[in-house]
Amino acid sequence: MLEAKNLTKKFGSFTALNELNLSVKRGDIFCLLGANGAGKSTTINLFLNFINPSSGSAFIDGKDVTKEQTHTKKLLSYIPENLMLYPNLTGLENLDFFCGLGGKVYDKDRLEELLQTSGLQKEFIHKRVHKYSKGMRQKVGIALARAREASVLLLDEPTSGLDPKASNEFSELLLEMKEKGVATLMATHDLFRAKDTGTHIGIMKQGVLINQFSTDEVTFQDLEKMYLQHMHN
Amino acid sequence: MITKPINLIIKKEIKIALREKLILAMGVIITLLLGVALYAGYISFKQQHNIIHETQAQKRQEWLNQGDKHPHIAAHYGTFVFKPKTVLSLFDFGLDAYTGTSVYLEAHYQHEFMFRPAQEHSSIIRFGELSSALVLQILVPLLIIFLAFASYTNERESGTLKLLLSQGISFQMLTWGKVLAFCMMLFAILLPYVIGLTILSGMQSQQGTTPHVMLRVLLIILFYGFYLFLFIAFSVWVSLRATNGRNALLTLITCWMFFTILLPKTVSNFSESLYTLPSMREFKAGIEDEKTNGTDGKTPRSVRVAKLKEEYLKKYNVDSVQQLPINFEGVSMQYGEEYANQIYDKHMQALRSIFHKQNQISSITSLLNPYIAVQHLSMALSGTDMYTFNHFEDKVESYRRELIRKMNNDMAENSVYGEFYGYKAGSDLWEEIDDFSYQTPTVDKILVSYPYEITSLILWTIIVIALLNFTNKKMKPLYG
Repeated sequence: MLEAKNLTKKFGSFTALNELNLSVKRGDIFCLLGANGAGKSTTINLFLNFINPSSGSAFIDGKDVTKEQTHTKKLLSYIPENLMLYPNLTGLENLDFFCGLGGKVYDKDRLEELLQTSGLQKEFIHKRVHKYSKGMRQKVGIALARAREASVLLLDEPTSGLDPKASNEFSELLLEMKEKGVATLMATHDLFRAKDTGTHIGIMKQGVLINQFSTDEVTFQDLEKMYLQHMHN
Repeated sequence: MITKPINLIIKKEIKIALREKLILAMGVIITLLLGVALYAGYISFKQQHNIIHETQAQKRQEWLNQGDKHPHIAAHYGTFVFKPKTVLSLFDFGLDAYTGTSVYLEAHYQHEFMFRPAQEHSSIIRFGELSSALVLQILVPLLIIFLAFASYTNERESGTLKLLLSQGISFQMLTWGKVLAFCMMLFAILLPYVIGLTILSGMQSQQGTTPHVMLRVLLIILFYGFYLFLFIAFSVWVSLRATNGRNALLTLITCWMFFTILLPKTVSNFSESLYTLPSMREFKAGIEDEKTNGTDGKTPRSVRVAKLKEEYLKKYNVDSVQQLPINFEGVSMQYGEEYANQIYDKHMQALRSIFHKQNQISSITSLLNPYIAVQHLSMALSGTDMYTFNHFEDKVESYRRELIRKMNNDMAENSVYGEFYGYKAGSDLWEEIDDFSYQTPTVDKILVSYPYEITSLILWTIIVIALLNFTNKKMKPLYG
């Protein structure tokens, strides 16, 4: 569903991503681990076509994201590290607006249901977003991803800064979407969440995917050891 | 139900603007300013119209009831004509403050226009009186800038831009959604004013000085529509290109100052220094000199009259002017008048040519500056521009010449040579002179004088649309 072929991004003389090759299939949750500046967010941004690749290509559903972005954007949903919504609109209005942009029109009851089942407390649904915590905003993002019925999920450190309960709820929703066949690419620093939720893990360093494996192949301790070893090297 | 993404963007922009209250505050400010300007303009128009109407009627009665007197004395007794206020001067005062409102008509002399409102004001008038045109030309664009400078930078800085674009909408759609939303908000703010202007102009349109008032109002709305659209589209474009809101605001304010204050003033000073006008004293002295010494500098009036006398004696085959069937004094007066008119026309043409060159520079500069374009078109359609004033001057001068010609002809035909005080004309002659009436040039005739200005607005609109579309295609939410 998601595929990178020799995907490279240079900012001047700095290579942010170097010849990345990866593939994420339906029902996979591929977690990209790595320190800051390893190229995780660059990878996500390239799949979103927010920046142009210097060479190589990114594909969603077999379509080059730079050439057929109308098609590829319809398939994906994106949740950044800090999901920003319109502070003067309510959670429900934000959801309604972003769903509408993607061509999904729901009635008020369905939107309320989506927000509630994504973990947003009922009393906040009709409050303006400037009163929301970061966790609440992320939940609107999850509701949006579900509402869009996306088959690809691009997550850029989505649980960063969330409390453990909210992170857990987030993981549960990811697993729910996995069951529906959604292909997920998630950049994260959270080793535990990657092992617990992910199906595949890739470790990135200085723009290079230096290792990738299935989460079944390693224990959490092995993963931690391997990660720290790569970071120290 | 609204489902098209562009409609959703428009709806969202308007909803947020309303909740942020900024648009409401701006709406109140603009409505108040325009309301005050329209009211003040209307009151001023009504007062001046009534004064002019009454005074013109009074002067007409004075002319008709001046009693029996020699026609040449009547020609010097003269009369006043008044520049009628055009209906749309309530919208744009234009040059009315500088051109004067009345002129005294008499034989031999072309008097200056008197009672220029600018003479009675302090230098503050140089900044312009609060007219609706001034509010729309200068203040509304400033308010548009405050409304639109953060249209993109806010989205970029807050991070909503990435979320928006990840939904599959394009920059093209987002940009035009924003532009259309601002257009709609501005339209809603200006609508009460437009209705007020249309009603007031319509109420006064029967006064007849200005033909096609409603067409003029429509064209004013159209041209200002172009102008304000340019500011909206340009502000959104700058916001789209800017790295942050501060830079966008600084860029837009700088552009606003350059286009509405610096460039017009610079062009005005430049054209004045390039084509300098003679002083009034020099202008009059030049005319007097030619009248005294002849256009060739060596034919004084006595020689010219002697030559004329000779021609008449020969034509009628008589030995003295007393034997002529007409009063040679009347003929001589009219000859002198026509000679002086030629001299005046020559000097006036030279003066107008300088004005024209100055205006031409300003008009050409309007291709670079839509503010100058809309300023000129606004004055033209309101009948308060230089071309309309020149048209009025010409009509006044023709009226004066006809008046004097009739007086001189009557003198030539009915009085006897040498008996200047013996002959007296009466009300029959005074009534032969029609009351002065004036109509401004029609819209088509006026607009022909402003090709650069019309081209400017159309060209700038095309450029800004092309610029937006080009940038939309090239833009990425992240730099790199």
